[in-house]
Amino acid sequence: MAARSRVATLRDQYAELLRSAFLVDLQYRASIAIWLVWGITEPIISFAIWWSIAAGGAVDGYTRDGFARYFFGVALVNQATLSWDAWNIDRWIREGEMNHRLTRPIAPIHEAIADNIAYKGPTAAIILAVWVVASIFWPAVRIPFEPGRWALGIVAIGLAAAIRFFNGYATGLLAFWTTRATALVELQFGISLFLSGRIAPLSLLPPRVVHVAQYLWFPYVLSFPVEILTGAVTTWQQYARGYAGQLVWLAIWLLLYLLVWTRGRRHYGAVGG
Amino acid sequence: MPNAIVATNLTKTYDVKVRDPGIKGALAALVRPRYRQVRAVDSVSFAIERGDAVAFLGPNGAGKTTTLKMLTGLLFPSAGRAEVAEHDPWTGGNPFRRRIAFVLGNKQQLLWDLPAEESFRLNRAIYGVSLADYTTRRAELVELLVLGELIDKPVRQLSLGERMKCELAAALLHQPEVLFLDEPTLGLDLDAQQTIRTFLGEYRRRHGATILLTSHYMADVTALASRVLIINRGRLLHDGELSELVTRIAPIKRIELVLSEPVPRARLEEYGTVAHYAPPRATLEVPRETATAASTRLLTDLAVADLSIQDPPIEEVIRIAFGETEQDAGAEAEAPRADVRRAPP
Repeated sequence: MAARSRVATLRDQYAELLRSAFLVDLQYRASIAIWLVWGITEPIISFAIWWSIAAGGAVDGYTRDGFARYFFGVALVNQATLSWDAWNIDRWIREGEMNHRLTRPIAPIHEAIADNIAYKGPTAAIILAVWVVASIFWPAVRIPFEPGRWALGIVAIGLAAAIRFFNGYATGLLAFWTTRATALVELQFGISLFLSGRIAPLSLLPPRVVHVAQYLWFPYVLSFPVEILTGAVTTWQQYARGYAGQLVWLAIWLLLYLLVWTRGRRHYGAVGG
Repeated sequence: MPNAIVATNLTKTYDVKVRDPGIKGALAALVRPRYRQVRAVDSVSFAIERGDAVAFLGPNGAGKTTTLKMLTGLLFPSAGRAEVAEHDPWTGGNPFRRRIAFVLGNKQQLLWDLPAEESFRLNRAIYGVSLADYTTRRAELVELLVLGELIDKPVRQLSLGERMKCELAAALLHQPEVLFLDEPTLGLDLDAQQTIRTFLGEYRRRHGATILLTSHYMADVTALASRVLIINRGRLLHDGELSELVTRIAPIKRIELVLSEPVPRARLEEYGTVAHYAPPRATLEVPRETATAASTRLLTDLAVADLSIQDPPIEEVIRIAFGETEQDAGAEAEAPRADVRRAPP
């Protein structure tokens, strides 16, 4: 098949994959609404705690208003980048649902990518809309009107989503070997509470923790995009470090995905499901 | 006619972890795992010509599904090789996948929450079927499978039979040359089974598709396939016409009698083995070559209201065939095919 027609086929495949994923999500709109509320519960709780701590004045430069903006950012970026793929892939493999996907002329990862876009696009848009409405009535949560910064933020959110996706997908593929692949995701989830900036801005954590975090992918999938949106990232060095970290971790997780996929597929071919 | 499927000494061996019972056994398995090598498919060879329909029979765990998984590229053989639709299933990639379909009766592939039509649309795009071809093929499948309004109902609301009809339609939209069906009528009522059989026969006739199916229902086999492969314990026991198998395994005919006057059982035994005796009905088993002569004698000697000569039921033939392999395996117990070994360090 010529390269151009391959691109056309892939475009056609994505159009239908996105359509069916979106239609399936519509069937589960009530569940999705509940997951959405669940997803924002954690930043609301963290915000409530920091709100009361900051009653006496700014904490390391974060005022109450600063925390409000930060946790709106966390809710939005987390919704736009979260990944449940490990559980899906684990189920596909353990329950034999991977078999028919492997006999189709499209790699199963494309279905997962389409599912992610179809789910995260609309749900993140809802959080964004809430943020926009809230900022009409609550000036504290307004972020600076800087379209350039927003564009940079969108790029960072896209990269963060890709890192978390390949991380989750590659971890899920470990189900080719073990029945406990999802336990690794739970572990990462716990660590990411601290190291990605989910329960507090990274600058409030002990310097040693921040030092360790910068060598891992966690700050680049949440803290960095959030801080672009809230205006905490200002110098070009901060941008460069953030994007470089994102690109390096994206490359690492992409390579790990390719490695686990090719090895896992071979292992599956050898031992079956 | 060129071959659509060729399997040459296809073999699949699995390492199965061996664990002694109890906590001690569990701990020992953690520290020093032991593995037993199980040969799920053992040097199976066969060729299927393009356009043929062949049934793959065997008891549960015989190696049927493992063989189908190797032929569809899901598993790679431990030894031997396969060629399907002119491709090595393992390395054939997407060009190979576009030429086959694999339908598993116990696993659904349709989008559960949406009408089947949505799965059709998705498969059209996935298999790169042009809109014009899609429209024609969809119309044909809807007509042949009498899908009507079924395709507008969410799949979860369909009965098992309705769902299987939609599964087949979705799997055939790309018009595969080779169709692998694993228990396509599993759990269906008689009407639905018949619909599926009729459809598959008609589809093969129209499009010259090659079909390899596994089934536990003999009616599937007799309706669809003239040739059967019988596998048990991973070994191919029989490859040939169904009628050959009947002749070889059960070289008898059954004479079904309805007597108009009572005849003692002992009297009937002069003509053959009495398999069933419930006056006025009786069933005799006689050697195949003497069936006609025995029938003539019965009609002359006794007061017979009705008489028919039949082959033994195919289920029984297959059961006897499986029994033969069990005996073979028993005889080979001296030379075990499973070998227990320690895990490599």
